Amino acid sequence: MSRPRTEAEYLARLVPPSVAGLNRRSLLAGAAGAGALLGTGLLAGCGDSDSDSGAGSKVVSVGSNQSDPKPKDVTAKVMDGFKTSSGITVNINTVDHNTFQENINNYLQGKPDDVFTWFAGYRMRFFAGKGLAGDASDVWSKLSGYSDAFKKASTGDDGKQYFVPASYYPWAVFYRKSVWQQHGYQVPKTLDDLNTLGTQMKKDGLIPIAFGDKDGWPAMGTFDILNLRINGYQFHIDLMAGKEAWTSDKVKKVFDTWAGLLPLHQPDALGRTWQEAAQSLQQKKSGMYLLGLFVGQQFNNDEQDDLDFFTFPEVDSTIGAKALDAPIDGYMMARKPKSEANAKKLLEYLGSKDAANITVKNDPSTLVANTSADTSGYTALQKKAAELVGSATEIAQFLDRDTRPDFASTVMIPAIQQFIKDPKDISGLLTSIENQKKSIFTS
Amino acid sequence: MSTATLTGEAPADTPAARRRPLRPARVVLHLFLGTVAVGWLFPILWAVLTSLRSYEYTASNGYVSLGGWTFDNYLTAWRTAEFGKHFLNSLYITVPAVLLTLFLASCVAFVIARFSWKLNIALLGLFTAANLLPQQALLIPLFRMFTQIPLPAWMSDSELLYDSYWGLILVNVAFQCGFCVFVLSNYMKALPHELYEAAMVDGASVWRQYWQVTMPLCRPALAALATLEVTWIYNEFFWATVLMRTGDKFPVTSSLNNLRGEFFTDNNLVSAGSVLVAIPTLVIFFLLQKQFVRGLTLGASKG
Repeated sequence: MSRPRTEAEYLARLVPPSVAGLNRRSLLAGAAGAGALLGTGLLAGCGDSDSDSGAGSKVVSVGSNQSDPKPKDVTAKVMDGFKTSSGITVNINTVDHNTFQENINNYLQGKPDDVFTWFAGYRMRFFAGKGLAGDASDVWSKLSGYSDAFKKASTGDDGKQYFVPASYYPWAVFYRKSVWQQHGYQVPKTLDDLNTLGTQMKKDGLIPIAFGDKDGWPAMGTFDILNLRINGYQFHIDLMAGKEAWTSDKVKKVFDTWAGLLPLHQPDALGRTWQEAAQSLQQKKSGMYLLGLFVGQQFNNDEQDDLDFFTFPEVDSTIGAKALDAPIDGYMMARKPKSEANAKKLLEYLGSKDAANITVKNDPSTLVANTSADTSGYTALQKKAAELVGSATEIAQFLDRDTRPDFASTVMIPAIQQFIKDPKDISGLLTSIENQKKSIFTS
Repeated sequence: MSTATLTGEAPADTPAARRRPLRPARVVLHLFLGTVAVGWLFPILWAVLTSLRSYEYTASNGYVSLGGWTFDNYLTAWRTAEFGKHFLNSLYITVPAVLLTLFLASCVAFVIARFSWKLNIALLGLFTAANLLPQQALLIPLFRMFTQIPLPAWMSDSELLYDSYWGLILVNVAFQCGFCVFVLSNYMKALPHELYEAAMVDGASVWRQYWQVTMPLCRPALAALATLEVTWIYNEFFWATVLMRTGDKFPVTSSLNNLRGEFFTDNNLVSAGSVLVAIPTLVIFFLLQKQFVRGLTLGASKG
């Protein structure tokens, strides 16, 4: 910028900025206006909560990761239901699902809401074990309508309950009825059946099993189900908890079996998201797809009835095909809620059949955890899914929920992707997983 | 663009070719510039293009196709991510943070530039060095501090510096001051000393020398810095995500995440959201281009 050359020019520059220069003036005026706005706006924005933290308060806050439009709406309706039944107002703090999950550590150590959404299984036990969650055992003594499998999934390592289940969804092999009828396919009962079916589909010009693992997590479902079928539930859970060796023959067999099935899977899976894989099923280019119930989101409304599923076939007849992945979502209580009485009342309501009924009525894509709820509003697919999970002997939560988060994301995602890229060097891969597991689980 | 005109001229110029021995190099240069320009513009144009198409169409025809034009993505994005509210939040954070940064930085710069005492260089070094500090390294100490510092309830409903606009403003001011001090002190050093001598003869106090002599002269530098700072603070995403807990208080950049679904992400919708979020920075840039470009070279030469 040029220096003032004359006295007049110099003096002109001494004029306060707010009066000089048209362009700049409007900018600064805007800024000043915004500043003034801020003065009032901030105070108004921040002061609106006269948070009386006394025991007699009629407010409870909920941290929610239900940020998708539909679940968000359902959550609001359930909270309204609580308000009408108890007279306590619920403040919902919705943070988008992924941010909520990534920030959970900060969130819980900061100043969490009284009640917050979270997941069952290891993820719940991990924070309960660190003393970051409130004990909800006395809430459980008032709850009814939950199977033992759900209660077990809500229990921490110390035997107390820290979690109230709300909804869940199973993982299974999905297919389009119309495609299967057209070719006369039968649901496979064993691994051999599956192989035969896959070969037949290839002959018919279909990709037998749709597959996409760009995001890293979908292929965990394949590992889980194979491990559950080959080695059984207990081994799977112990393996996830770091108690079993990844280098054992049992794990090697899982990867060997998977390698045998890979030719039936859609190739180049690492460049494909699960949405794209699901679309190949929807467009009738693929024959089947192992995924969670949410696969239906990729189908148009008029195609929903054409969607069907079967549980992954038996591999070892001594183990059977009764265990499966069915991640459970629900609620937990902060370690020091502002009003413990209100938080517990809310948890009790969230676990009640009233809350479940509201969910069933408003959201056709989830299954409610409370078995006493009125499920007559379920679609055929939902009914079948609920039956499948109801008949399951054991329920796993999905790999990234059953083990340490750092192990799942930093070790398992790259390992499985490496395996998909190059399925030959299984023992080298397993040695590397085992070494990393040791350093993570001892830390 | 330029390559087209060049090749167009080529046949007509053949007799003159000997007089321009640099011709092939120029062709290469323009080719290179053209490629780089396209390389920079491509992602933005692609996002705009994607944002204008319906998900159903791109899902069935792939992204390398044309058709499925719609404006719905913008409406849906605005509604589902509640951008109206979050733009206001961004305003609450950006405007005070920029004003405060410029004020504080100019104070420090004034002292460094106009008074000579022992710690001058050390002070400037301290502020400049702070620029090099990776912000992420301070996350945990800052987080702990913020959860320990109480605020009265009328300032923030969290009653802590954590999860309040004040905290975010402070963080941004702290991290942006270093750069501004560096630029402003260099600028102020170049102002003629005689002005201050004259001001002192007229009996102006230090404050007056600062506010009525230095500040008006620094207007170009302040304008350039304000442009840069608005863009930087507005674009800031990291601190807002980790130091905020209430979804409703997130600035617009962090709220962009609202468009990602739990299982499913509609890329066309996210593109529309990103374009919306980028608009304020674009507006600022086009309005204040001159200052913006000058801002990039301000520290480069004195004056």
